Amino acid sequence: MTQKNSPRRHRPVLALAAVLLAACGAAWGSVASTVPPLRPITVNLQDKAALRNGALYTVHMCVACHSLQGVRYSSLPKVLGLSRAQFLATIGTNGHHYHDTITSNMPAAMMEAYVKIAPPDLTVIAQRRSAAWLYTYLTSFYVDPSRPTGVNNTVRYNVAMPDVFASMQGLQKPVVVQGLRFGSPAKVAIGVEPLTQGSMTKAQFDQTARDIVAFLYAVAHPHQQERARLGPWILGLFLALSVLTYLLYKLYWRRVITSEERWWRVGR
Amino acid sequence: MNNSKPSKTSGVFGWFDQRLPISATWRSQVSRYPAPKNFNLWYFFGSLAMLVLVMQLATGLFLAIHYQPNPHLAYWSVLRGIQRDSRWGWLIRDMHVVGASAFFLLVYLHMYRAVMYGSYKKPRELLWLVGIFIYLALAAEAFLGYLLPWGQMSYWGSAVVTNFVTALPVIGKPIATWMRGSFVVDLPTLNRFFVFHVFLMPMLLLALVLVHLIALHQVGSNNPDGIEIHENVNESGWPRDGIPFHPYYTVKDLFGVSVFFVVFFWFVFYKPAGWGLLLDKLNYTPANILHTPADIHPLWFFLPFYAMLRGVPDKLYGIMAFGGSFVLLAFLPLLDRNPIRSIRYRSKLYKFNVLMMAASFLWLGWIAHGFATEHNMVYGLHVTEVFYATFLVLPFFNRQRSVRAKVLWLVLAEAAVWLIDVWMYSIHAHGWDLMLLTDWIPTLYLLVVFGSALAFPALTRDAAKLPERLTAGGIFH
Ligand code: HEM
Repeated sequence: MTQKNSPRRHRPVLALAAVLLAACGAAWGSVASTVPPLRPITVNLQDKAALRNGALYTVHMCVACHSLQGVRYSSLPKVLGLSRAQFLATIGTNGHHYHDTITSNMPAAMMEAYVKIAPPDLTVIAQRRSAAWLYTYLTSFYVDPSRPTGVNNTVRYNVAMPDVFASMQGLQKPVVVQGLRFGSPAKVAIGVEPLTQGSMTKAQFDQTARDIVAFLYAVAHPHQQERARLGPWILGLFLALSVLTYLLYKLYWRRVITSEERWWRVGR
Repeated sequence: MNNSKPSKTSGVFGWFDQRLPISATWRSQVSRYPAPKNFNLWYFFGSLAMLVLVMQLATGLFLAIHYQPNPHLAYWSVLRGIQRDSRWGWLIRDMHVVGASAFFLLVYLHMYRAVMYGSYKKPRELLWLVGIFIYLALAAEAFLGYLLPWGQMSYWGSAVVTNFVTALPVIGKPIATWMRGSFVVDLPTLNRFFVFHVFLMPMLLLALVLVHLIALHQVGSNNPDGIEIHENVNESGWPRDGIPFHPYYTVKDLFGVSVFFVVFFWFVFYKPAGWGLLLDKLNYTPANILHTPADIHPLWFFLPFYAMLRGVPDKLYGIMAFGGSFVLLAFLPLLDRNPIRSIRYRSKLYKFNVLMMAASFLWLGWIAHGFATEHNMVYGLHVTEVFYATFLVLPFFNRQRSVRAKVLWLVLAEAAVWLIDVWMYSIHAHGWDLMLLTDWIPTLYLLVVFGSALAFPALTRDAAKLPERLTAGGIFH
């Protein structure tokens, strides 16, 4: 009805209906895609054991290819509830200096040759994506022979990253439905099912993925606890000030209201 | 009242006071400066804007100390150097980010107040005009600052705007190249935007605000009743409805500041990105010169203007529609020549029109918030027409109009809208049906204004008599 070559309209009632429809539709673009459901997750920043486990996997597995340029190794002990010595003994710095940022040892040029695009920085990704998205992403690689890496991902269609979890999680196959991709009908993977058995059970792997997400979330939101601690005090301070200054204002202005024309002589 | 003499001639203060008009200025401009006694909520925003200006300068100073204006370093100098490596850096940055949006919100409210109470009318035309230049400087300041973190939206936003400039005939391309210092947004662009953002524009803003205040104190404040307090003075020349700015408005503004900070710090602590409105989600990603984002759009406070740029199907005319909206604002004192200042004593239809000014502006913002679909572009065009119309119909309200004049206004205005539509269609075939389907927007607006002026003449009638003295009313009076 609203396309360019539609026949001339003759019926005003239809036209009116179309007007209203168009008005509603206007704001809501037309580039819809079927979105796979995200797996729910709650991140507990107090669960230091989980954060430590996540840090271990992140620093030794993910950082093979990705960097976390927003994060210095030296900032991790506090996040993980470790001393510096404990941190260096258990997780370590991949041979970097303690105060260095977490950078991958893999040269970017090599990565581009290997997976065509340089892997994005994980601080950037974790700041931009929700924990649920990250969790779903990590657990939703599936076999797709049409891809150069042999795998695809439900929340990141045509992902360039290979399935580095295959040995732990096993391979997975997609759960496909008929849906939309960028507005056109297409087969869309909205979930995964196990295909082969890995070294971990499903529960074990999911827990590992959640730990990694918790760690990424923690380093991507470094001041969340400070905010939560400080916020109420600052807000309380200004709330109290609002009350006080309101009373002060009322006190001064009583004169303005009551003694109409005498008040201005004050201070002369 | 002699305000020009020093209050003390002895002691340290006296020494200074004899050589610098400290107490004299304090008296004439603050403690014995008469302000109308009926300021309401809308009169908080000027002083709050000043507060935010100072806050932006202070937080900006600390940010500039740690910031690196270099494409290789800029992004991480903000997201790591400032936010993580510097003590309180996260707080300072979030205050600066939230402060920018607060600034615009306050200034928009401040301007709308001036529109409602006719503060642009004689003798405050220059004050109003200076205000518009402040807005333009503020817009430039925000645009320049947005490039600095070198995120995806920073980069592509600047690319889009500098590209738009190329549409100007003859001078467009040289100006764009001059703005960028290069043929694309790059290191030279970042360097000059940084210098303009931290040095040139703040200086200009400070100077303009100073002129704004001097002009304000020359003519005195307007007020929600729009009645000149200086026209009713007592035997000693003091306005009967005036009160000294200090202490009455200093305590009141202090209350405004406290409440403002509650809201402000709520955002700073709990929603620093403001649901992606104050800080775009895409700007968490470093600029990628090879990857154009699918949807490039400015922050919320520029969205209405972005809708105008997008809605007009030609870059040059788009720029003209955008620039023209400032010309309209500047010409407001000439368009609205009705002797009554305040909306309180203007006709019902005039009130409706002032409401529509805000409503069409907000609607434009909402449209630009969506994707650049054909629908949104056509809607943008038609709502831009309404926004323009809310200004251009103002002369209609200058006095009572005959039936013939009303019909003429309706016919001519409607014809103008249709002419513009045909013209726009000839530039880009949006599809007639889509054009016609959305044409109800300006048509309905014009019908409501002129149609009801015809059918119910009472709606165009201003108050027959203004009160002689200021009336109370409004919140926080
Ligand atoms: C940095 C931005 C600005 C600052 C700091 C500022 C400051 C002020 C202050 C302190 C006042 C007196 C208090 C009040 O009436 O609220 C004032 C009045 C006024 N300002 Fe602004 N202003 C700014 C921007 C603007 C803009 C953008 C405009 C219009 C385009 C404008 C137009 C006016 C007018 C017309 C008045 C007199 C209002 C009346 O008396 O009713 N100002 N300004």
